[in-house]
Amino acid sequence: MSSVSRVFKKGLAGLLPWLLPIFILLLWELSARFGWLSSRILPEPLAVLRAAWSLALSGELWTHVQVSAARAFIGFAIGGGLGLVLGLLTGTFRSAEIALDTTLQMIRNIPPLALIPLVILWFGIDETAKLFLISFGVFFALYINTFHGIRLVDPALIEMGRSYGLSGWALYREIILPGALASILVGVRYALGFMWVILIVAETISAQAGIGYMTMNAREFLQTDVVLVGILLYALLGKLADSAARLLERRWLKWNTAYAAT
Amino acid sequence: MHIDQIELARVDAAHSQASGLDVEIRGLVKRFGERQVLHGLDLDIEAGQFVAIVGRSGCGKSTLLRQLAGLDTLSAGSIHFNGKDREALDDSVRMMFQDSRLLPWRTVIQNVALGLAGRSQDVRSRAEEALAQVGLADRANEWPSRLSGGQRQRVALARALIHRPRLLLLDEPLGALDALTRIEMQRLIERIWRQHGFTAVLVTHDVSEAVALADRILLVEEGRITLDETVALPRPREHGEAPFAALESRVLKRLMTVEALNQRNQLRGRVSEILLGPVLSEIRVDTPAGKVSAAISTRSLREHSLEVGAEVLAAFKSTEVMLATVE
Repeated sequence: MSSVSRVFKKGLAGLLPWLLPIFILLLWELSARFGWLSSRILPEPLAVLRAAWSLALSGELWTHVQVSAARAFIGFAIGGGLGLVLGLLTGTFRSAEIALDTTLQMIRNIPPLALIPLVILWFGIDETAKLFLISFGVFFALYINTFHGIRLVDPALIEMGRSYGLSGWALYREIILPGALASILVGVRYALGFMWVILIVAETISAQAGIGYMTMNAREFLQTDVVLVGILLYALLGKLADSAARLLERRWLKWNTAYAAT
Repeated sequence: MHIDQIELARVDAAHSQASGLDVEIRGLVKRFGERQVLHGLDLDIEAGQFVAIVGRSGCGKSTLLRQLAGLDTLSAGSIHFNGKDREALDDSVRMMFQDSRLLPWRTVIQNVALGLAGRSQDVRSRAEEALAQVGLADRANEWPSRLSGGQRQRVALARALIHRPRLLLLDEPLGALDALTRIEMQRLIERIWRQHGFTAVLVTHDVSEAVALADRILLVEEGRITLDETVALPRPREHGEAPFAALESRVLKRLMTVEALNQRNQLRGRVSEILLGPVLSEIRVDTPAGKVSAAISTRSLREHSLEVGAEVLAAFKSTEVMLATVE
């Protein structure tokens, strides 16, 4: 009896944070039904669901998600990869820092979106332009966090490693990389967040496919329900990417009590 | 009892093989920029000997140890192990640091096996053996963050032992531990030293630790060896015993005198005024260079019966002024 009530209480406690969103959804639905809210401003939640359902059935939804996700991750791989490599380089070698860091810090202060006119001139409005913008935006989050991660590795541990016969790659693998990993993963999470922001802007400029194309198209035809489906998709994909980064943190940093799975 | 005898015989047999390095230091000088820390230091250590180096912080004892470990370059002078240049035998030297310096991202056993080459199975079994020697075989797969300070130092000791060092350098490895754990660790270090027969150099600020472990106690002051005392007490040594306490207080007293009578940083003068306070008293001294003021507890002032007009030496430390009467 008591265990049943405890389970019930636990379930109730789990529900509490969801009460407000459910209430807002209900209010929204009712306002739309009673005509207090024009569907041109905000469609009822059920209509959004219906739109998502029919887009999913027609297969249109998946094509757009696929195109957008591919763009996002290719851009992330190029920009993030370069940021990681250059961060490792400047973090490890003082000479690389002297040669590169000042230049990179200057470029970093340019907001990637300010480059849009130039990028369109360079690459037209093709895929390349979008990938360039995403790579550019993602690059610095990883570069800076990798650089600082490596610089902040405890010098006492490096000294210990050297006196225990580690050098070169072994020292890197055993001490420097694991020591910088927490900071690198923070960079990955920042980069992922930034990746979606730039993707959305890039896709709304011009595109032949993708979530941004879908929403801009729907706007032309006043399909507010489809616009909302697009917005919610961005939210969902962003959340998924963030959860993936958290999973990596929990797996790779499980030695660190701050990240240990609870 | 019987088992103890066998154990002792085995230990002595292992000891007599003496795999330790002998150390020869000549004219060792170390400068950090303008500041000179070691002033042409000479020292010989026999193979297998356990040497403790005591002294106040900043006296150069840790710098000396770091030179032996090859962590810093020498400014001048030479270090030889078994007659060879120290670099040639770099692999036979291992250091235990004050903070354990375990890698937090490696498990206990991975930490112990750090830098050990070979087949992974052999490495693992050697690491297990080393952990068993320090009594931590059951914690092999845990993260270092789960261990207490004493356990971490035992892991660090196992990590040093696995390389079968012929010279083990200990840089205040027990400084951060509580009294009971410290005595436990001292016994462990002594047992392992007797078993392996390596040469050991221990830097410590704890004179009783030096007396408990060392064959020989060196006092380092201002980058020079100012006392070289052989400890002839039989092992194992008990902290409470009379000869132990006598030696400890002798070294301590010497440490104090050497500090007070250092030739540099001192001024001769006469007491001009004594301001008595309930706990602390102030003593003003006229010196050729000007007035100097020193604080002293009122109780020890009574013991020393210092009077106005008495001749004193004012010795300056970085944070305090010490007074010594002139005889």
